Parts: sequence; structure tokens; C-alpha cells
Amino acid sequence: MIENHPDGAAHVANCADCQARTSLSYDALDVDLEKVWIGVAAEAWASPASRPERIAGSLLCSPPLARALATTPSLFLSWILATAVVLAAGVLATPISGEPLPALLAPALAGAGVAYAYGPGVDPAFELSRTMATSDRMVLLVRVLAVFGVNSVLGLFASLFTDYSVSITLGWLVPMTTVSALALAAATLLRSANAGILVALFAWGMVVSTAFARTDDYATAVTVSLTPFYAAATVALVALTLYATNGKREGLSWR
Amino acid sequence: MEVNVQVAGVTQRFGRTEVLKEMNLSVGTGVFGLLGPNGAGKTTLLRTLATAINPANGSLRLLGYDPADTGERRALRRRLGYLPQTLGYYPNFTVFEFVEYFALLKEMPHERVRPAVAEAIERVGLEDRAKSKLKTLSGGMIRRVGIAQAIVNDPGLLLLDEPTAGLDPEQRVGFRDLIRAIGQRGTVIVSTHLVEDVGAACSEVALMNGGRIVFRGTPDELSARGETGGAGDSPLERGYTSILSGARA
Amino acid sequence: MKSDEHLIRAVASGDDNALRELFRRHSPWLAARLRRVMPASAVEDVLQETFIAVWRGAKRYGGEGVVGAWIWGISRRQAALWARKNGRPEAEMELAREEDPAASAAAKADLDRALADLGPGDNASGDAQRELARLIFVEDRSVADVAGLLGIPEGTVKSRVYKLRRLLRASLMQGECR
Repeated sequence: MIENHPDGAAHVANCADCQARTSLSYDALDVDLEKVWIGVAAEAWASPASRPERIAGSLLCSPPLARALATTPSLFLSWILATAVVLAAGVLATPISGEPLPALLAPALAGAGVAYAYGPGVDPAFELSRTMATSDRMVLLVRVLAVFGVNSVLGLFASLFTDYSVSITLGWLVPMTTVSALALAAATLLRSANAGILVALFAWGMVVSTAFARTDDYATAVTVSLTPFYAAATVALVALTLYATNGKREGLSWR
Repeated sequence: MEVNVQVAGVTQRFGRTEVLKEMNLSVGTGVFGLLGPNGAGKTTLLRTLATAINPANGSLRLLGYDPADTGERRALRRRLGYLPQTLGYYPNFTVFEFVEYFALLKEMPHERVRPAVAEAIERVGLEDRAKSKLKTLSGGMIRRVGIAQAIVNDPGLLLLDEPTAGLDPEQRVGFRDLIRAIGQRGTVIVSTHLVEDVGAACSEVALMNGGRIVFRGTPDELSARGETGGAGDSPLERGYTSILSGARA
Repeated sequence: MKSDEHLIRAVASGDDNALRELFRRHSPWLAARLRRVMPASAVEDVLQETFIAVWRGAKRYGGEGVVGAWIWGISRRQAALWARKNGRPEAEMELAREEDPAASAAAKADLDRALADLGPGDNASGDAQRELARLIFVEDRSVADVAGLLGIPEGTVKSRVYKLRRLLRASLMQGECR
């Protein structure tokens, strides 16, 4: 038997019988193979962190917040591209329609994005999220700021391609903030991203059409004269969001 | 024995109904079972201990921390494990990604996260589904994913609301071994409506009714209360029903 | 039972359960081999790196030679890295020489004690375990041989030995703490 089964590693590597016998060898009993497997499994099971997530992680100094950003639907590349396409279409249609379409579109797009910043879809693990060391409010704040930032940059870029006055070009930033705040307040209060989008789009549509009815010009919705109104509304809506995410409040949809 | 959970005069209201009534409770290491009919306040008590809702009145001291203080609450939450009664989840996350996400939110040391997640998945017996998306799993498997995220940070205080719902008998046995092991070093509080879970896994039991604790003792003491009457198929069940009917009278 | 070749192809396509099966089959004998030349903690590190490399590099297995030999090759390279990093060139040498030092007398004595820990003599399962341990460790018989002697399938022998190995390890580690 010994002749047929030399103990060299080259042979053992090829011989199932010898493998079985060697593996029983007493010498290796102090090797914890279960622990080794855990280490192997951790590598095999994990999805590698994406490059944006790693960059966000080092910028924010917080792996949990970086992961939260990486899992925000309205920060997925597909969502950002869709936003860019809509704005580009607005830029192209502006000379034909005679309206500053990017300025009118940007608030609506940002509102939709911000509503979906409220967790993947609406955060279904809400009950769990609010018991985490990294608080759900912090997660929400970082997500909303990131979405808002991306939308601002896209909107500014789109405005460069239309030849409207600076007041209109920048005028949409203020209502965009308000519409985003409305979307967020509605999404957190009603615990539904889609509800947030609907409310935001409806409200912005009302503002734009009222502006048109009064002055025959859609662009009045994004003029500086309305800034005090928008600012007051934004403050109220932020307060509403803070209330909606307060730990003392019972969920409307809970049970 | 170290007292990990101290509840002093805690009241909890939803609207006008009092769901917890000036509750006082202290619990040390071990596995502590919470029994009681639906609406007794078990879930509210666990949600309060998990810092999901703040108490309307009274004070808490958990693992030596005061959850009313922002900084202490954060430190406490790093050492908490919580399985809600209904676990919402992200259908497109894999089992590993879901558990990893909550390990990150619990602010575990970065280099420990992945091995800890793998180990938690092994401990709940989901190793062959680690890379499956949550939407492909059965209800019982989702329950085990929930248990995995609860234990991933090796919690000093583990709160489980109906953890065995949807588990088959064999998985329930495995689950009991798991919480007994965790109860060696920390405090595990499990709410259940299955009286036999308590007998097999818990070192101590409390029975809740109408927002109050109406009995507290060992499973044997609960059984002993059934000797003089009470309906049920086992001594524990008879003890349970006899105490409840006494409390209602 | 699926062949190693089948498993490694599954690993290449991202099947982690196939990786687990390969690990279950090959890690014990790899551990025993490596343990002769390096401490247990180093064996653990080397094995972990080895199987992570198997996971990532399964596509590079081109079907040349036996899977076990391919994995052993990875292990040896990882072990050599460890030996160089830790200034233990002799470990590298020994791996290359494929020496097989027989278990020392002291080790045998430890083993006897661990076996005695398995349970009292009148315990039927303890007896069966000791019998199995005697055949495998002391008489150094192959699994097929033992299966024939005991009249049970090879798979059963393997799983029993796997359990036995865990029991013995626990017992030996306790012994160290005493």
C-alpha cells in the first residue's frame, strides 16, 4: 500500500484516497477551517465596492454614508442620464417654443430625484433604519444634498445652452429648492417616494400654469420677484420634513 | 450579575390609549422571553428598547447608556441587535448586501464588516443563499436574514420580535441554540406567542397583559402556576392561561 | 458526486456553493500538508488566500492536470510568499522537499488523551468513534479500506471522520488551556 501511495505532495494532490487520509492527520487539528472558510466566503459573497462609492467613502470619511449614497436610486447612472436627456430635450425645444424650458423642467426633475432619495424606493426597512448608529436623518440629509447637487449642476449646464437673461437662468435654482423640499416633505410624511413625486409635480405644474394664466408667460414662475414666497415655503417644508422624520412620530402606515 | 436593561416607570401611548403602563423592568444576561396575548404591549416594549420610539414618560438605561442622550444613544445603537415584527427589506439587495448594509450602519470597524457578515449568514444557515436577491427568498428565509442582520455586530442587547414566525421546526431548534449562545454573554429579549419556544430557550420569562407585566419567573415557575388549573396541552400553557385569567379577573 | 473539474467550472461561472464544496474536499489535506512547515495561524492565512485565489482565478484553470494539484500549486506559492515575508526560508525548502515527518511520540500521547475525552467506555457512540479513530489515525488505513471493514458507505466514513476531527480539535485545544 505504501508503495502504491507515495507520500509526496505531487502524488497526494492527484489521489483522492491519500487526500482523505492526509486530511485526517493529527498535525492539522489546530487549524480552524471554519474560520478560514468565513474569510473566503466574505470575499466570494461580497459585491465589490464601486469606484464612486470608494470616492464618496473617503470624502465623507464614512463607509455607511457612502453605501447609502451608492444605493440611492436617483443617484444611479441611469437616473442621472435620464435627467440629462430630459434637460437636453428642453434645451433643443427652447428656440421652437420660445420658453426657457430647462428652467421650468429643472425644479420638477430635482423634485422627483429628491423624492426617490428617500431610501431605495421608499425605505421599506424604515423601522430598522431608525435604530441604527448612523441615524436615518443623517442618511437622508446626505442623500438629498447629493441628489440636489447633481441636479443643480445638470440644470446649470443646460442653462448655458439657452440665451435667456441671468435672472431667469438662475431664477430656477430657488424654486428648485422649494420643489425639492416639497417632494421630500411629502415623501417622508406619506412614506412613499411616488407620493412625493406626485405632490411635487402637481404643485410645480400649478405654479407654472398660474403664472401663465396671470401674465401670459410661463417664465414668470422662475423670476426673482417670487423669491420671498419660495423661501418661506422652503422653510416651512423643511420643518415639516424634520417633524416627519422625528423619532417620536408614529408612522401613518405603520400597522 | 450585570443589569443590561433597566426600565423605570416607562409609559407609552398611541393617541389616547396607554400601551405600556408605568413599566418597571430590569434584565441581566441570559435569554429573556416575553409572552402575552396580541395587544399586550410586547412589540411596543421591544420597539422602545430598540430606540425606535422614545418613551412618553419614564427613563431607560440600556447597556449602561442613556438613550435620551444623542451621543450615548449612538454608542448604544452600535451594540444593539433588533429584529422588528415586520421586516421591510430591499428586494434587489442580495442577502450579503443587506446584512452588510446594516453592519455598516451599525458602524462596525470597517475591516471586520465582511467576515462578520459572512459569519452571521452561516450562523442562520443561509450560506447557500448568500448571493441570492432577497426577492427570491421565502418568508422563513427573510426572517433568518433579519436575524442575521440583528446578530452581525455581536450585540450586547439583542431584541427579537416574533423571530420564529415562519421557521420550520428544525430551524426553530437551530435558532434556540443560536440565542442561547448569544445569551451566554449578552442579554437576549425574545417576544413570542409560542409557549414551547420559551420553555426550550429562555432562562427567564415575563408574561405581559394590558401594558403591564403580570408574571415574571423561570419557565419552571411558570409551569408550576398551571398545576392548580388553567387550560392547555402542556404545563407551560396551563401556567400561561391560568395567570392570564387571574390577571383579567 | 460532482467531479472537481465540474466544480471548478461552476466556480468560474460564479457559483459560490461549488467553491464551498471544493473547500470542503481540499482544505483538510492542504491544511495537514502546510501545517508540517508552518504554524496554525499561518496555515489559516495561506489557505484563505489560496481559496480566494481559486475563486478569482477559476477561469484560468485550463483543464490541464488534476484540480487538486492546481490548488496545491496555488497554496505552495502563497506559502512561499508567507515564508519569505516572515523570514522562514527553511519552510519554503521543506515545502519543496515534500518531507513527511512521522507524527512524534508526544503527539501520539496527546492524541490518546483526546480520544479518551471522547466519552466513557460504556458509551456506544464513544466506542464507535474510538474504533474509527484507531483505524484511521493509528492503523493509517484509507477511507475505502475502513468503509469495507465497517460495512458502511465511504461517504458516511468521511462525514463521521469530519465530525471526529472537530471533536478531537476541540478536545486538544482545551488541553492546551489546562
